[in-house]
Amino acid sequence: MRKIMFMFLLFLWVFLSAVPSFARTTQLNYRLKWLFNTSVAGDIYADAKGFFNDVGLNVTVKEGSPEKNAINELELGHADFGVASADQVIRALDKGAKIVVIAQLFQVNPMQWIYRTDKPEIKTLQDLKGRNIGITFGGNDETIMNTIFAKAGIARQEVTITGVRFDFTPFFKKKVDVWPVYRNSQGVILKDKLAKAGEDVYFFNPSDFGVNFVANSVITSADMLKNNPDIVEKFLSALLNGWEAAMDPANEADVLKAVKQKDKEANDEIRQKQLNATRSLIKPSAAMKIGTIDLPAWTQTEQMMLKERQIKKPVNIGSCLIQIK
Amino acid sequence: MLFRRIYQFLIVYSVAIAFLWMIKMGLSLSDYVIPGFSLVVETAGQVFKEYFFDVINTLSVAVLGQALSIVLAFTVGISGRKSSWIGSFIKVTAYNIQAYPIVALAPIIFILLGDGFIPRLMIASMICYFPLLLSVLGIMATPVENIEHFYIVTGRMRWQLEVKIRAFENLSKLTTVISGSATLAMAGTIVGEFIAANAGIGYSIRIALYQSDLAKILVALFMIGIIISIYQGILETLGEQMKSKWSISNGGEVL
Amino acid sequence: MYLECHNLNFTYPGNTTAVINNLSFSMKDPGFNALFGPSGVGKTSLAKMIANAKFRSDGDITTGNIDTILYSYNLERLPGWSSTGNHLDKVTAPEKQSLKEQLTGIFELNDVLGSRFSQLSMGQQNRINLIRYLLQEFDLLIMDESLANVDEKLRETIILAIKEVFSDKMFLYISHNLLEVSKFCSQILVFRKSSENKNSFVIEGQDCKKGYSLDKKQLDATMLEIMNAF
Repeated sequence: MRKIMFMFLLFLWVFLSAVPSFARTTQLNYRLKWLFNTSVAGDIYADAKGFFNDVGLNVTVKEGSPEKNAINELELGHADFGVASADQVIRALDKGAKIVVIAQLFQVNPMQWIYRTDKPEIKTLQDLKGRNIGITFGGNDETIMNTIFAKAGIARQEVTITGVRFDFTPFFKKKVDVWPVYRNSQGVILKDKLAKAGEDVYFFNPSDFGVNFVANSVITSADMLKNNPDIVEKFLSALLNGWEAAMDPANEADVLKAVKQKDKEANDEIRQKQLNATRSLIKPSAAMKIGTIDLPAWTQTEQMMLKERQIKKPVNIGSCLIQIK
Repeated sequence: MLFRRIYQFLIVYSVAIAFLWMIKMGLSLSDYVIPGFSLVVETAGQVFKEYFFDVINTLSVAVLGQALSIVLAFTVGISGRKSSWIGSFIKVTAYNIQAYPIVALAPIIFILLGDGFIPRLMIASMICYFPLLLSVLGIMATPVENIEHFYIVTGRMRWQLEVKIRAFENLSKLTTVISGSATLAMAGTIVGEFIAANAGIGYSIRIALYQSDLAKILVALFMIGIIISIYQGILETLGEQMKSKWSISNGGEVL
Repeated sequence: MYLECHNLNFTYPGNTTAVINNLSFSMKDPGFNALFGPSGVGKTSLAKMIANAKFRSDGDITTGNIDTILYSYNLERLPGWSSTGNHLDKVTAPEKQSLKEQLTGIFELNDVLGSRFSQLSMGQQNRINLIRYLLQEFDLLIMDESLANVDEKLRETIILAIKEVFSDKMFLYISHNLLEVSKFCSQILVFRKSSENKNSFVIEGQDCKKGYSLDKKQLDATMLEIMNAF
């Protein structure tokens, strides 16, 4: 009898110990768009500094890759939150996916074009004429550049378009003048490399010419928002706090240390330059609150995709953008 | 043989796609994750012509690559058939290299040689070269004692006759390995294009992947399957015709 | 012309028992001779050693006036990519064309010259193989079961024709057929198992030629002599 009583009490103790801890933390998966690097400094920092734990969330931040798609993972239940670019979101909505955008990370699209200063600076869109412009066929840059051509009334034969992929050889060999890069990652590396060879560069930024194509944003499923609004709010507040902290110059050394642990690619100097570039894209002004959703930019993005026949019909993007206070 | 290949492929494809749709229905997935029937049909209507020419483009590279590798494999296989040191060296090298995933070299080849026809041709021929070489080496290095004996003892044996005897006696094996290397060449070319080219169906699949457009990928897979089934069917039919022209099965008509 | 063997020994690699143990014999003059003995006793091994010096291990085989020795056997095949007639033409010297026609007639192969080798019966296959050897330059031809699957009557016709047409050559006919060997062969090497520790030796056969009249008593005596040798 005593033995049974002892076993029962032991079991009760274990159970009671477990239950509160289960109630205290919720296990979530957060799928990023690309590999761990400085572009996702805020996501890494939020995880490393325990921002999620502080609100009772146990979040596994998983890096992305060409094969992994956060929207697919949301639908299949492999992820609870994710990062996707606006074109991915709009395409998914066009095909009936039930997702919502809860924050816009990049206020300025990092998708820009790099070119050498030995050619005149592109001050107006007409200056693109006669240039050899690199485009990733099927990629966002193709959509953006086509919009630019349409906006500027540039006919296809007035420019040379070269299909590009991952290696920069045609740009290094000066076969292609204007090369698509992510301003805050490859852009930094290329600029640095060319500087060592005594060459300087400009960056062509479509948003300077009124072409705003929204980039990476935080998403979740409509069901998640509907059934667990408190978890969504907690997750987002922790994430955005993490980003604010990561973008604060005062925390730069700490942020770089956290990113270095995950980023196998760049060296310290490059990483620091990339962080600076990322900062200007995520939080272009001190007053800007990270995660603010730019509705006009989203609408413009949807229009661009409709015009380029990337989607069959309007998706009414405004109804899927949820600005959580 | 040709029709059998085609309807075999159609059965496999239909089963696979039905399985996908079962998962779609079961998990209530949107068209973004798994496209529905109408979306696949609509997409097929949009990209069919473009993908057809892409597949033909890829197939032509694969066929040429395979032809090149056949010529090369026979040349090297015939030269290396003796058990001299060069013959052994060729055998060992072929055994080791054939285990290596040649498509992993695709990015390097494209970086060095740029986009275009030649690097795709190189990848296609490298993919099927080593297995072909090993088969040819094995065949050419194995004497057919019962036939060769007369020519050897009467001093009539020449290397051309020796090669002809050994090739003829192993015609079945040769046609099988050539037919099999067709799939290898096609698969390798597609993967090479996927990784690093700017033309062909592999490249089109990569673009579809960028856009997370599974409908386009399914259409591309269908096109690839149909065309490769036809190609293999043609190869097998040619092989059978060649075999029946050059040999009559044992136990033929007794006179 | 002679073929002599002195104290020949042969053991297959990896075996401890010798297949040929201290074999000595002598065959003289052109003629249709035989190598007779049960299966597995080493007849083919001996034949190969006679035909090819590289197979000899220990002992001595000497020949006189025998420059070219050919060894043929019943499992040989002709290439299958064209007709047997075609193949035969390719290996026949121009001056032997008439001989070829003569032999194909005797061997009853005229009807199959347009067919491929695999279409022939086993007997026809063996005959066509034998013909192509007969059309080569040789001094000694070893026929290892070369007339297997040929009916008795045709075998007789063939052997008698060979003896007549190639009277200046030596033949070594390997066969299990006691009657045939006794009847048609000149010198018969009776080959025994090396384990029996008895010598192999040469017996005189009846050496019947074309148009022969058979002496049955003599034949029986020869056959008995061979049987007693075992």
